[in-house]
Amino acid sequence: MRNIWTIFRKELYRVFSDRRLILMIFILPGVSIFAMYWLIGTLIHNQMEAVREHTIVIYEEHMPATVRANLESLADLDDPITFSFLDDETYDLATLKDLVREGDIDIALVFEADFEAKIDDYHIDDPPVVDILHNYGRQHSSFAYNTVSSVLETYRSDKLLGRLENPDHALIFASVYHADDIVDERRIAGQGLAMLLPFLTIIFLFSAAMSIGPDSIAGEKERGTVATLLITPIKRSEIAIGKVVSLGLLTLASAISSFIGIVLSLPRLMQADTNNIDYAIYGVAEMLLILFTLMATVLIIVGLIAVISAYARTIKEASMLIMPFYLVTMIIGIMSSFGTEPSQSLWVHFIPIYGAVNFLNGVFVFDYAVANFVVVVATSVLYTTAFVVLLTRLFNSEKVMFQK
Amino acid sequence: MKPLSVKNIRKTFTLSRKQRKIEQTDAARKVAVDNVSFEARPGEIFGLLGPNGAGKTTTLRCVATLIRPDEGDISVDGFSVLTDAGNVRKRIAFLTNELKLEDHFTPTYLYRYFSRLHGIDDDVANTRREAIFKRFGIDKFAEVKVADLSSGMKQKTSLAVSLVHDPDYIVFDEPTNGLDVLTARTVTDYLQELRDQGKTVILSTHILSVVEKLCDRVGIIIDGEMKAMDTLTRVKAASSDGELETLFFDLVEASAGESHA
Ligand SMILES: Nc1ncnc2c1ncn2[C@@H]1O[C@H](COP(=O)(O)OP(=O)(O)O)[C@@H](O)[C@H]1O
Ligand SMILES: [Mg+2]
Repeated sequence: MRNIWTIFRKELYRVFSDRRLILMIFILPGVSIFAMYWLIGTLIHNQMEAVREHTIVIYEEHMPATVRANLESLADLDDPITFSFLDDETYDLATLKDLVREGDIDIALVFEADFEAKIDDYHIDDPPVVDILHNYGRQHSSFAYNTVSSVLETYRSDKLLGRLENPDHALIFASVYHADDIVDERRIAGQGLAMLLPFLTIIFLFSAAMSIGPDSIAGEKERGTVATLLITPIKRSEIAIGKVVSLGLLTLASAISSFIGIVLSLPRLMQADTNNIDYAIYGVAEMLLILFTLMATVLIIVGLIAVISAYARTIKEASMLIMPFYLVTMIIGIMSSFGTEPSQSLWVHFIPIYGAVNFLNGVFVFDYAVANFVVVVATSVLYTTAFVVLLTRLFNSEKVMFQK
Repeated sequence: MKPLSVKNIRKTFTLSRKQRKIEQTDAARKVAVDNVSFEARPGEIFGLLGPNGAGKTTTLRCVATLIRPDEGDISVDGFSVLTDAGNVRKRIAFLTNELKLEDHFTPTYLYRYFSRLHGIDDDVANTRREAIFKRFGIDKFAEVKVADLSSGMKQKTSLAVSLVHDPDYIVFDEPTNGLDVLTARTVTDYLQELRDQGKTVILSTHILSVVEKLCDRVGIIIDGEMKAMDTLTRVKAASSDGELETLFFDLVEASAGESHA
């Protein structure tokens, strides 16, 4: 125990007494991720601004006065959306299509001449029709379509409400719907995070472990310092545990730096949908689950990298041998982040890394089982123990330690 | 204190393709040490003399428990390197220039680190460190990173660090190799001092004068085999003209003749 502590402290001291390493392991990951995401977010933001500031060129025939008034009232918003109506000319459908395709017109709405009359005197076999022409390939056009659609939607539901004999019924309906909505919103807010965070975090964990593991073990072999350690009377298992635990802690700290970078830049990055992300939707329980799952995953990743680094003769060889595992981890991350809903099957959580990412996805959308958490943590401990046993064997093997 | 005894050890290496090319051989295995036995006693310096590639380092690495002999055994203070490596490691110091210290740390840090790994109390370690750092002139550089030390100072720090546990058995592979005359002198003086304290010292060398100056007994190893072993005086007496050099070259020639035949 004492020897593990001695090795652990020395490994940490090695990093914390070296300004270059502190910068590389703890500062750079967070800062570079923040800068990158901030930049991407800003670019998206500027592009959206440009789209919003553009005056939408709109063509219409027989547009109901309320719809037109609603569209025009958007100019009074804090973030105004303005329309320029082409009232002077009339085109046939084919010409309109060309104009929309070329971008001369952003959107065209051709209402039937008796559109409003048909609404008031509704027949299911002859409903009122509006032709909407827009072009998804053009940002201005697709933004115009989204805006116009929501105005039309409001118009439609107003008309529907008007049909109800007793408007109070509508109110009751609306408030029930509203209560449901709160839970949903939390889920939806979480979904954005669930897509990105677990995947990114695992990747950051892996690259952090990759940047320190090979140096700490293969590097010691390469520089000939491992023999100095091996002639001391401490057990090889103590060296293995000391290395894995210290690497694990450093990796976790490095990943947390990346994590902070993401958390700070995500609002900027995701503003396409929401103006700010409310992390407060997660309680202490979720935070703890996330932390413990990350710790369990760190141990597996570090164990794997330590074993490979002990086997390799040089740092370079170690990095090369780790590469395939890095790619597999990336694929696992992508599969479980951009795939379907997180699986609740107990068995999925026995799979190293995949199980953890899957569980994290579940936590982010508030859909998780404690049994799965127990499986993720317990199997991680098991896998890590296996790696430590393997690492001890490698430290005991003169072929592996002193091969030339 | 018991003698350190090496009994009939044999060590074979499997050669990689690259090694086969370097050694210019088609054989897949190389016998580095073949049936070597010797005994080093308390209060004396035993020298292992042999040309490059004779098997000196391999023998000493077996003694230091870094590698295991295929056959035979080595006993240190009654503990076998095969079954009791931990107890052997507690009792010996092993020095060779392939054992390196990590560049980033200072002599003081490393001394404390290895003291702890040997289970030495910090107080005892501090007293010992002050004494030996002063003895070797490391004290002025105690807070300088190993990377920034001169090679002589690095070597002396390695020596100091290898002795943190004040062991009774000292095994030293090529002690003066690559050292400037002054540092070499400091090291050889210290080895004699250790001998005079009653410790068991084994050193290996390919330099005849080192043996003549330091060793009480000597074993001559060539091509992995022990060709002669006795006290320095008697080994010399066995030579045609009473010179160690003559005997050494006769043995080398005889061995070369054997392998050509
Ligand atoms: N790890 C190894 N793998 C293969 N051959 C080795 C290894 N270590 C030593 N040898 C070979 O064993 C022989 C003895 O080497 P060594 O003990 O280093 O000699 P010395 O120290 O006397 O110069 C040499 O031929 C050397 O090439
Ligand atoms: Mg040698």
